[in-house]
Amino acid sequence: MALTPDAPGAPGGAAPGDVTAGASGQAGTMPVAMPADSSRALTEAIVVPNSLWTSANPIAYNGGRPAEITHLREWAQTEDARRDNARWGALEVIPTKADYVLDLIRANSLWPLLSGLACCAIEMMSAATSKNDMDRWGMFPFRASPRQADVLIVAGTLTTKMSGPLLRLWEQMPEPKWCVAMGDCTVSGGRYKRSYSTVEGIDRIMPVDVYVPGCPPRPEGLIFGMMKLQQLVKDRRGHWPERMVGPNVPDGV
Amino acid sequence: MVTHSRQPSADDPRVLLDQEIGVFEPVPPYPPRTEREAEFYTLGDGEMFVNMGPQHPSTHGVLRIVLKLNGEQVVDLDPVLGYLHRGVEKICENSDYHHIVNQLDPLEYISSLFMEWPYVQAAEKLLDLEVPRRAEYIRVLSGELNRIASHALFMGWFALDLGGLTPILWSFIERDEIVEMLGALTGARMLFNYFRIGGVNGDLNHEFMSRLGSWMSRAATQIEANTKLLNENEIFVRRARGLGRMDREMALRMCVTGPNLRATGVPFDVRRAHPYSIYPELDFDVPTRTEGDSLARYLLRVDEVKQSLRIIDQCLHQMPDGPIMARIPRLIRPRPGRAYGAVESPRGQYTMYMISDGTDQPFRLRIHDPSFVHLGSVGRLVPGNLVADTMAIMASLDPVMGGVDK
Repeated sequence: MALTPDAPGAPGGAAPGDVTAGASGQAGTMPVAMPADSSRALTEAIVVPNSLWTSANPIAYNGGRPAEITHLREWAQTEDARRDNARWGALEVIPTKADYVLDLIRANSLWPLLSGLACCAIEMMSAATSKNDMDRWGMFPFRASPRQADVLIVAGTLTTKMSGPLLRLWEQMPEPKWCVAMGDCTVSGGRYKRSYSTVEGIDRIMPVDVYVPGCPPRPEGLIFGMMKLQQLVKDRRGHWPERMVGPNVPDGV
Repeated sequence: MVTHSRQPSADDPRVLLDQEIGVFEPVPPYPPRTEREAEFYTLGDGEMFVNMGPQHPSTHGVLRIVLKLNGEQVVDLDPVLGYLHRGVEKICENSDYHHIVNQLDPLEYISSLFMEWPYVQAAEKLLDLEVPRRAEYIRVLSGELNRIASHALFMGWFALDLGGLTPILWSFIERDEIVEMLGALTGARMLFNYFRIGGVNGDLNHEFMSRLGSWMSRAATQIEANTKLLNENEIFVRRARGLGRMDREMALRMCVTGPNLRATGVPFDVRRAHPYSIYPELDFDVPTRTEGDSLARYLLRVDEVKQSLRIIDQCLHQMPDGPIMARIPRLIRPRPGRAYGAVESPRGQYTMYMISDGTDQPFRLRIHDPSFVHLGSVGRLVPGNLVADTMAIMASLDPVMGGVDK
C-alpha cells in the first residue's frame, strides 16, 4: 500500500463539488487524487503506485512484482528523504506495508508488566510517574497481569526461589514479547554475585533484549533502555510467534 | 572426553526449575510439617484457597500470601517469605567493616540511610569513637529528609492500594525532589552509601543547599496540599477508618514499633526513649494517636512529616563548623566484643547487633527489621476483613520486603 498525492495524470485535488472525481468505479486500479475534504477520505480507497523509488534489482523483491518501499530505512536512502522538508512527521508520502505499520504501533505502545522484585522497582515507578513520565514515549501503563503485557522489566535482585515464578510470568506473556534487565543484579549478579541465594544475571534462565546497568539505574536510564527497546521492536527482535519469525528477521543483528 | 556429572545443588536455578515445585499451587506439595500447617491447609465447609503473589502489584515486593476465604471474607492467611532472601548477613560476615555499609543499603531501599545508621552506631561503640558534631548534624539532616521521602511514598502507595491513582503522582514529585537533593549530597539517588564509621562521606555542598533551600521554602504548603487530597476525601476516610484496628496490648505483645505503635497510643520513639546522635538537643514532638486503625497510621505519618520539617529547620540553623570524619584507620580491627545500635526509622526501630572477634571482619551481624515484625501482625489484623482490604491493611503497615527477607 503506497499513498502518493498528485500522481501524474490525476486531477490535482478534488473540488468540493466534484462528486465523480474519486467515486468512479475504477478506484481500485486507477490513480486517484487525494480528496481535499476529509469526510470523503473515509469512504474512498486511495491506491497510488510508488513513483519514488525503484529497486536496483527488479526481481529482488517478491519475484519481480512492482517494488514498494517497505521500510523507513530503505526510504531514507532516497533523494527525497535527504531533503530537509521530508522528515518523517512532515511526510506527504507514507510508503509502507502493514507489517511496518504494526511494528510502529507495537513500538509506541509498549505495555510493561508491573513486577518489581526489589530496589529497582522504586526507580521503575519513579520513571512511570510525574517527573519522568514514561507515557510520553509510548511506554504505557503498567499492567498487573502478564496476559496483558508486552515487556517484562525485571527490576531487582532475582533469587533462586523467585526464579521459578519469574520464568512462569515470562511464559504467560503473549508473543511478541520483550525482556529488559534493569539493574546490576539482573545483568550480572551485581553486588550479590557472591551470595548463595541469588541468580547471577537473569540471562541464565531467560532471554534478555536490553540490559540497563546501574545500582539502581536512574529513571532516565530505564527510559533510555526502553527507547533502545523500541528500536529493537522495529527491527523485529524479541520473541515472536513461530510463524512470524523468518524472512523478516534481518541478518547480522 | 570426560563427561562431567554434576551434582544438583540448591543454588543452581536450573535445578530448581527442573523440580516442579508448584509455586502457584496454594497447597504445598509436602505433607503438613506443623500443627499450624495441618490446621491451615484443611478446608472447612464452603472455604477455598486463593494464592496472592509472589508477583502481585500491591504486595510491596515479592511476598506470597495464601488466603483462606469464605465467600469474600478472609478466614485465615499464611504468608510465605523468602522470595527476596539475598543472604546479606552472610555477605557482611565476609566483608570489611567499611564495605558493609554498601551491602546494607539495599535492605531498606526506600530510606536507605536508616539501615546504615544503626550499623555505624554499633561499629562506633565498638571502636569508642567520638563522632564530630558536624557529622552528626549532617546525619540527622539527611536522615530526616529521607524520612519525609519515605512517608511521602507511603501516602501515595496507601491510596494506590485503596484504589486511588492520583496521590501517588503527587507524592512521587516530592520524593523525586528529595531524592535528587540527597543525590547531590551523597552521589546516589537511592542506595546512598553515605554514612561512614566515624562520620559521613561528604560535606554539604552548594547544589544540595540550594535545592534544599528552594524545597524548604514551599515544602510545608506542598505537603499540606498533598495530604489534603486524602484527608478531605470522604471515600478514603470512610474506607480507612476502623480498618485493621490494632489495640495497644496487641501492639506491645507483638513488638510493633514506629508509627504503627504510636498510632495505638504508645509514645515510644527511639529518638526520645533511647536518645542517640544529637536528638536530645533538638526540639520536636512525638505525635501519637489512640485509634490504632489504618486512618490513624496514615494521619500519624502526616504529623511526623511536619515534625521532620521542624528538625531539618533546626539542623540548618544550628549546623556547626568542623570536620565531618573522625580519624580512623583504613583497616579497622575493633576490640573483641558485642555492640548494639538502634535508630528510629520511618518504619520502626532498626536494630543491629554486632559481634567482633578482633579481626577486620565482624563475626556476626544480626539485622533486626521492623517490617518483618509488622508483617507478623497481618495474620491478626486481616482475618474477618474482605479480600480487598488485605492489601490496604498491609499497605498501612508500610513494610519493605528487602528488610523482611534480608
